[in-house]
Amino acid sequence: MIEKVTCKEVMQHICENLGEQLNSEKCAEIKNHLENCTHCKEYFKSVEITIECFKKYNVELPKDAHRRLMDFLNLNEE
Amino acid sequence: MEENELIKRAKTGDRKALAELVGRYEQTIYNFAFKICRHTDKAEHIMQETFYSMIKSLHQFDGKSKLSTWLYRIVSNHCLMLARKQKGNSFVSLNDDDESLYTERYTADWSSIPYKETENEELKKILDDSIQKLAPDYRSVFLLRDVEGFSTEETAKITELSIPAVKSRLHRARAFLRKELDKAFLK
Repeated sequence: MIEKVTCKEVMQHICENLGEQLNSEKCAEIKNHLENCTHCKEYFKSVEITIECFKKYNVELPKDAHRRLMDFLNLNEE
Repeated sequence: MEENELIKRAKTGDRKALAELVGRYEQTIYNFAFKICRHTDKAEHIMQETFYSMIKSLHQFDGKSKLSTWLYRIVSNHCLMLARKQKGNSFVSLNDDDESLYTERYTADWSSIPYKETENEELKKILDDSIQKLAPDYRSVFLLRDVEGFSTEETAKITELSIPAVKSRLHRARAFLRKELDKAFLK
């Protein structure tokens, strides 16, 4: 008989293994817990949103910075 | 032109090939440097140092990894070096026993977080402030694995950390950042 997992264990597991292959017996139990626990589902979603926020935040290289880079490396076309 | 051919030419000192390689990766490197240091001037400085190192050590590049992976290693090192030079930085210390990382009490309304808006200044500030509390080696693991999409193995190679060290930094960083956003978006 597999021991029941706790919410804290599930949360730790989500943080450790999000995006990894989840095939072990423990993982199956965790998936099962996730499907049935609103609390942990919300946690899972919030970790995903956290990652999404950082993914979406990007900066463009300014044209001046490109020119300064080429000058610094002495790679400007004469 | 194929990248391998460009690298071959750049290794002989062909300036046009070097300029082409720099042009292909400058945006990626600048963006990644910014994501670690959260400061545009510092990101520009790190980008310059990264490409200077690339040109200086290109003869050592053996082609076993992708050029982009090799550049990520260089840029990560420069970010760490810069962070070490800056005195007075204090970062949170995270360990697995920290119950508060996995707090079961929810405060934020996650559906209100404007995560689909890319230009939300309030959110950007929260993200900048949160990630800067993490030590740079935690930041680079989180950004490489979750944001840039490298595998755990690739992240370990780039950061020169063991796989267990990558995993433990990653899960603590995820839990910490999640908690920071949770605090910032209190119901």
